Amino acid sequence: MARPATLQPPARASRISLSKRTSLLGYALVAPVVICLLILVVYPFIFGVAISFTNREIGTEGQFVGLANFIYLSKVPSFQKAIVNTIVLVGAVQTMKLVFGLGIALLLNQAIRARQFWRGLILLPWAMPAFVAYLTWKLLYLPQGGAFNIIAVGLGFGNIDFLSRELAMPSVILASFWRGFPFWVISFLAALQSVPQEQYEAAAIDGANAWQRFRHITIPGILPVVLVVVLLSTIWTTNSFENVWLITQGGPSDATMTFPVLAYFGLQTLRIGEAAAVSVAMLPVFVMMAFVGVKLLERNQE
Amino acid sequence: MLHKLSPSQKVLAYACLILLAILILFPIYYMLTVSLKTNRDIYRVPSLLLPNPTLMNYVELLGRRGFAVNLRNSLIVAGSATAISVFISCLAAYSLVRLRYRGRTWIGRLILFSYLTPASLLFIPLAVIINRLQMGNTLQGLIFTYLTFSAPLSTWLLMGFFRNVPVDLEEQAMVDGATRLQALFRVLLPVAAPGLVAVSVFTFTGAWNELLLALIFTTSPEIRTVPVALQYLITGDVFRWGLIMAGSVVAAVPVMTLYYLSQRFVVQGLAAGAVKA
Repeated sequence: MARPATLQPPARASRISLSKRTSLLGYALVAPVVICLLILVVYPFIFGVAISFTNREIGTEGQFVGLANFIYLSKVPSFQKAIVNTIVLVGAVQTMKLVFGLGIALLLNQAIRARQFWRGLILLPWAMPAFVAYLTWKLLYLPQGGAFNIIAVGLGFGNIDFLSRELAMPSVILASFWRGFPFWVISFLAALQSVPQEQYEAAAIDGANAWQRFRHITIPGILPVVLVVVLLSTIWTTNSFENVWLITQGGPSDATMTFPVLAYFGLQTLRIGEAAAVSVAMLPVFVMMAFVGVKLLERNQE
Repeated sequence: MLHKLSPSQKVLAYACLILLAILILFPIYYMLTVSLKTNRDIYRVPSLLLPNPTLMNYVELLGRRGFAVNLRNSLIVAGSATAISVFISCLAAYSLVRLRYRGRTWIGRLILFSYLTPASLLFIPLAVIINRLQMGNTLQGLIFTYLTFSAPLSTWLLMGFFRNVPVDLEEQAMVDGATRLQALFRVLLPVAAPGLVAVSVFTFTGAWNELLLALIFTTSPEIRTVPVALQYLITGDVFRWGLIMAGSVVAAVPVMTLYYLSQRFVVQGLAAGAVKA
């Protein structure tokens, strides 16, 4: 431990007691947060897995039923839809955020006038509460009084039902992209600005063209940030409830049903065992991503 | 990669930016105009313009609809969750960054893991636990459960800010006879004040914006928070979009103001790639 010489106690015995006191203080200070997380994260995590193997309902403890909930779920059409929809939604939204987020960040990294202003503007959708953003997008999509329909009619396309079975998913994807992309742009821009300018100059002298500079300097330079952003955002997008709930509530006829919304509906049926099984079915993927996430964040911290 | 753009590249770049600005601003513009329209204007004569602006929706929302109660609930929940969370997180972050003891790495991992765990994975067992603790349908219950995301978030962010403060100042204070806690509160916290501001803003907005847990844990109308009250307006039978948008504007203004007042710190926190999106 880095401690100034004046604090070094003379005798060996007292040094041990000092380091013991430091340990005790360390545990005491970290205890409130650790106790909260044990009660509110670790215990529910284990408890949730345990419940998913029972036929527990509100008011009863339920009994161990093995894999019955999971076998039942695998035959439920809503659950199958939720798997496909969650993958489609996350895949599409994250791809769009990556492509446009990187594109916009590269654009802002050029010699643009009033960069601060543009950055502030881009932050707007993200500074807005998510529920406000999704309520607003639901309004934009409305068949009656929605802005997109006013525009569609004005351009002569007639009324378009943006929340129909065919279009509901693209509509949710677009709204989720709008609310989520600023986080990517701002993170990528910060990463781009931390790439040393000299590397570009040296490469230019060596005769590297723009693509080569991008490929061999920009990409390796921003990769650590890109990985963290993609991973964290994928975890949160996979588990996002508001986007689907506020725009379509999973409908029409499950066209936008995702895991978190299905689990919410499950809780309302009061069959907690089954509802918990929906969340637990996602756990393997989550645990894998979280494991990599913890590693990446720990590395970035150093 | 700052280099001079050719005139044609410049035109293209600014054209893209203007298109982007329209994409960002149009939904916000439409939200504002609808909040200032009567129901008749919204449905009978749909228009992107605002011919007869009126504050009627705001008056009805805050008056007859009692939205002030929802605002008060949200303020109590988000304010208390922030105060509690930032306080205990200061202690935890100090302990993890400045003190050495056995198990420290694992505690750090527990905090990171909790930070990554979304509420949608935990809400079912949490509902059972909260009922067992007799905290269902209370603001205290919400404040308590909000620690699931606010405590790891603020501890994680504060650890980053504390690590950037050189340890010399605190050591000097301790040489002069200060205890470790005095070093934390009188030396480290004042220096890390910008970090505290950023962490408080993130924690407050996270709690202010939370919908899922509040939807599950509150049943009576008088303890609904703002997001829950608004979601009941769209799942009801009659949609009153003027009212819903007025409520959205009222809900968005406080947190967006907070963000822009502390934009410098917000961008720092974002750049750390460490804030829930």
